[in-house]
Amino acid sequence: LKLFGAEHERILGSLYGAEAAEVYGALLRSLSTVLEERVSPLSLALDQGREEIAKPRRVLFEQGACKLTHATEFGGMGLPFGVYALAMELAGTADASTAMSLGIHNTVADAVETFGSPEQKKRLLPALLSGKKLAAFALTEPTSGSDARSMRTTASREGRHFVIEGAKMFITNAGEADVYLVFAATGTGHGAFLVEGTNPGLKVGKALKEKLGMRASRTAEVRLVNCRVSEDSLLGREGAGFEQAKQLLDSSRIVMGMICVGIARAAYAKALAYSKERELFGKKLSDLQLTREKVANAAMETSASRLLCMHAARLKEAGKPYTSEAAQGKVLATESAVRTCDAAVQLLGGYGYTSDDAHRHLRDARLLTIGEGTSEVLRMLIASQELER
Amino acid sequence: MNIVVLVKSAVDEAELRADPSGHPVLKGAAMKMSNFDMNGVEEAVKQKEMNGGTVIVLTLGGADSKKAIKEAMAMGGTKAVHILTEPQDAPDSLATAYCLAQAIKRIGEVDLVISSEGASDTYQGEVGAMVAEFLDMPFIAYAKKVEAGRGGVRCEQGLGGALRVLEAKLPAMVSVVSEANVPRYPTLLQVMVAGKKAIEEIPLASFKGPDYPETGTEVLDVSVQSASRKRVLFDGTPEEAAKKLVGALKQEGVL
Repeated sequence: LKLFGAEHERILGSLYGAEAAEVYGALLRSLSTVLEERVSPLSLALDQGREEIAKPRRVLFEQGACKLTHATEFGGMGLPFGVYALAMELAGTADASTAMSLGIHNTVADAVETFGSPEQKKRLLPALLSGKKLAAFALTEPTSGSDARSMRTTASREGRHFVIEGAKMFITNAGEADVYLVFAATGTGHGAFLVEGTNPGLKVGKALKEKLGMRASRTAEVRLVNCRVSEDSLLGREGAGFEQAKQLLDSSRIVMGMICVGIARAAYAKALAYSKERELFGKKLSDLQLTREKVANAAMETSASRLLCMHAARLKEAGKPYTSEAAQGKVLATESAVRTCDAAVQLLGGYGYTSDDAHRHLRDARLLTIGEGTSEVLRMLIASQELER
Repeated sequence: MNIVVLVKSAVDEAELRADPSGHPVLKGAAMKMSNFDMNGVEEAVKQKEMNGGTVIVLTLGGADSKKAIKEAMAMGGTKAVHILTEPQDAPDSLATAYCLAQAIKRIGEVDLVISSEGASDTYQGEVGAMVAEFLDMPFIAYAKKVEAGRGGVRCEQGLGGALRVLEAKLPAMVSVVSEANVPRYPTLLQVMVAGKKAIEEIPLASFKGPDYPETGTEVLDVSVQSASRKRVLFDGTPEEAAKKLVGALKQEGVL
């Protein structure tokens, strides 16, 4: 499967104009070549636990996939967010877990760039953008996920330090990360703290091994036990943590939606190729009307998901509100990816059910209707925004 | 060391489709740098990194060659020269080589010209040798190892089980095979920077003088050779089916 296709050229052209689309197209085409040759071939082995999970992530760091949108003074490329979103779609097609691991890492880089002090930016951003340091985003807790406001982790001020106590759950990159962005209640609201992975008070639990999908990203519990951090570790203003988390998640939802567009494409391409070869009743599977309905639905939903996520990305680029659009894009993209991957398994029949290479896409997609805001919570958010208008 | 590397924008075979009559659909086909030329560019950039100097990417082709030129620039080209053809030009290998050689003469002081073994779409493998002839340069073909410097170039050619070592004084021309190196993947930043570099354009028409070689060959037809599957199914127990499969493979002469 050629990851960068005519559909990407067309959307770049329609959103950014011909001249910019040529530059962005060259970048994404180059990234696709690397993904096709160095990441896609590892993907099945990664799902089956036969390959080192950091390997494809290193490839993407080497290429500069985390530099796309960040400021040039820190080693970034200063490109529009939509270019990064499309890059994450391509990465999602090549290997969804790697894309998600990278996407979450990049959310922390965004956090440092958006809310960090000049010293925090100087100290962390070049290392995060080049991949010398890996980051994790620690918001969810064992008893609070989408209901983040009820988090139990606390950060108490002791002189020029904070002491963090609590537990975080389902943390992507936990155990591998060098930096954890930990959200905690401070008494005056919430704060976001940059905690080094080497901090003796930060303890990472065993990797969750029974995950349905996304098996090439490490997910674990993180416990914070008398975790002392200097007050310089606080990102931005004390009390602003919850608002920061909301802002970061708005942006991250576009990325997770685009990863799902990529996952859907991967599954769809396999089913489409099979349907053109498989013969039954003297016809090709692709000649049957009920197959064509599935193909048409997959094509429509994938395009619609990409467009809605890219619309949210363009609003973000323009500095306009995009909370609802990002949530809509994520819900549509993740739920339609589950439908498309399920249809792909159906078209592949027995082979779809019995082959990791077919059903892993369905297993991968399934996470993202839960992570970064469940579909239910995002519908509540979308509806409340509609009702407030 | 001033190095010129020849790059062709070739049809992306992976994207190529055939029409119902079995002819490849070339109009609007996706183009990219010829796969083999990636080894040529890698070798040129490697030699530049070892010896200092410049790598000039030289291409002859239509307006759709820009993509290939930028790919080569992203890998480390210093500047690019594009001999721009119009649809009616249709130069054959000899005319292509003539124009490339004339462009190299215009570039001026060139120590080393590098090409690949052939183009990944047409694979005629003629142009490199012809360019060397037009430039009156020594030519070493199919090099699997290149060492350039101190006024000369030393290459290794693989000859089946044997190895031949050749040497030539610079300026010289070398064509490399794909074993010569592993082409680098440019970073996204390098791709972006390459996209902004200027490309010098020279219309092919500017080379059409009394010495321009008349078309010597004409392509009569290009058609897709399709391989059909026999789709033979063997029934019975796995042991029986395996025996039947082995028998059929023997009958086909595979075993």
